[in-house]
Amino acid sequence: MASSSSSGLTFKLHPLVIVNISDHYTRVKSQLNLPPSLTSTSSAATSNNNNNNSNGGENNQQKPPRVYGCVIGVQRGRTVEIFNSFELIYDPSTRSLDRSFLEKKQELYKKVFPHFYVLGWYSTGSNAQESDMHFHKALMDINESPLYVLLNPAINPAQKDLPVTIYESELHVIDGVPQLIFVRSSYTIETVEAERISVDHVAHLKPSGGSAATQLAAQLTGIHSAIKMLNSRIRVVHQYLVGMQKGDIPCESSLLRQVSSLLRRLPAIESEKFQDDLLMEYKDTLLITYLAMFTNCSSTMNELVDKFNTAYDRHSRRGGRTAFI
Amino acid sequence: MDSTIAQKTWELENNILAVEAPDPSSDFIFYYDEVAQAMSLKAKPWANDPHFFKRVKISALALLKMVIHARSGGTIEVMGLMIGKTDGDAIIVMDAFALPVEGTETRVNAQADAYEYMVDYSQTNKQAGRLENVVGWYHSHPGYGCWLSGIDVSTQMLNQQFQEPFLAVVIDPTRTVSSGKVDIGAFRTYPEGYKPTDDPISEYQTIPLNKIEDFGVHCKQYYALNISYFKSSLDCHLLDLLWNKYWVNTLSSSPLLGNGDYVAGQLSDLAEKLEQAENHLTHSRIGPLGTSRKKIPGRITSW
Repeated sequence: MASSSSSGLTFKLHPLVIVNISDHYTRVKSQLNLPPSLTSTSSAATSNNNNNNSNGGENNQQKPPRVYGCVIGVQRGRTVEIFNSFELIYDPSTRSLDRSFLEKKQELYKKVFPHFYVLGWYSTGSNAQESDMHFHKALMDINESPLYVLLNPAINPAQKDLPVTIYESELHVIDGVPQLIFVRSSYTIETVEAERISVDHVAHLKPSGGSAATQLAAQLTGIHSAIKMLNSRIRVVHQYLVGMQKGDIPCESSLLRQVSSLLRRLPAIESEKFQDDLLMEYKDTLLITYLAMFTNCSSTMNELVDKFNTAYDRHSRRGGRTAFI
Repeated sequence: MDSTIAQKTWELENNILAVEAPDPSSDFIFYYDEVAQAMSLKAKPWANDPHFFKRVKISALALLKMVIHARSGGTIEVMGLMIGKTDGDAIIVMDAFALPVEGTETRVNAQADAYEYMVDYSQTNKQAGRLENVVGWYHSHPGYGCWLSGIDVSTQMLNQQFQEPFLAVVIDPTRTVSSGKVDIGAFRTYPEGYKPTDDPISEYQTIPLNKIEDFGVHCKQYYALNISYFKSSLDCHLLDLLWNKYWVNTLSSSPLLGNGDYVAGQLSDLAEKLEQAENHLTHSRIGPLGTSRKKIPGRITSW
């Protein structure tokens, strides 16, 4: 069912969407699987919350519920950028989508983010299913070609890739009948500077507050690990090329072309203009550091002078100078 | 099932790994216990002790949303509300949402404009299964640090009278980006006339000259709470994988280029402060008392 997409759209996904979906899923899951100390209140709690699970939630160990929601963002030309998401109410047994809720939420989000509009929907699970097509079709009257973002909430420690896939729908003729099927598309992660910092902050649970030295250390460790990552990736490419040279691995010309275009970019940073700009920025930073050091020094000097005066001033007032310096 | 086996291996690995990684039982924080919350709302243990709440726990999602919203405002102050619950002496913030009001520091109760939005949003949230209540508000101080201004203090005192438990959070998105760490502060005000018993030691932060009076007048009327963050096990996992993708951004980001005008602004502010300090110094030279170094040769020659 999932072949690669041919629509030519590039997708950019913001980490906020991923954290949003994961939070929605965790919330719904924890409302059902109660810790054993609170089993007495379980009946009251489960009857109070409206969730999307049609099981009713009597037993603790059950299939984790699927959550549904809407993704919003902007589409500029061929680039689709997904910024944010919110929850939706959908009953999979009756296959009914709560329209008024969707419209209400859309209105609220329009007030705060006037540029964003509905781009598609999301759900959790391991694979795209046939039943998802109904939801997809229901959203088609808002956006004629919606996206389907699927997050796989199963935590697999061996996994190296993000368990998020984006599907588009395409009209294919199968057995003479034109049907809509899901096709997978690739995407990139896009972050704004502030987003990256806060994601970094939470990901590594850096100490908040604490002295400036620990903060600096934490930030430098971040940059250090980024450089390590770059280094390891370059090593991988290098090993691959060496293998190709020896003949162990069959030559793949498209890959070789990409590597050579990458290498051809390097000499661009040796030009004179670049050196000038770099030196100017470098001098600016050095000046600012110098200024900060100066201010620090003068404040320490001031403190020293104050202490000096407190220690020796009293004697000189009473009579005669005490021998100092 | 494959997934339970994978989860068990992950849990096992977690116990051997560093203490930092949370295990799935810590997801309990996401569970909303309505009965216990209603009980604590009735008991109101914060009514007698102005210093009752000492800690704040912010979820990864709430932090992300607040910082992104604050940054998207640019140099304009933005505000929003936070949703969560209380847990003993800690306030837990699970989520945050933005309010469609224009932030100006001269309006006492900008929140009044957004009441309709607030009510609508809270209702839709409850329908979608998020059962927590509003526990605070946040706003941004782009470029001038995390503290409560006079207007903020009066707003928060009003909030603490009628909407307890309530928390005020301030974010500085400009300083966040330029320093590479999240600049955030959580505060609660003391009621009128209450004198704090001890002087809490707070981290020094530079405040621009035009705001420093406002800061100084009100800085004793509120206290800061400790902030810690939490995330679910799934969040942990996803964020680790996310690192594989955005390490490039970490290397390629440069605060010099991104925040050039902010740095220039800070330097000119520093220059002003130095000028003021110099004027102050020359003033005190003429005065009768003083401990400046320049006085000593003056006095000795008069003997």
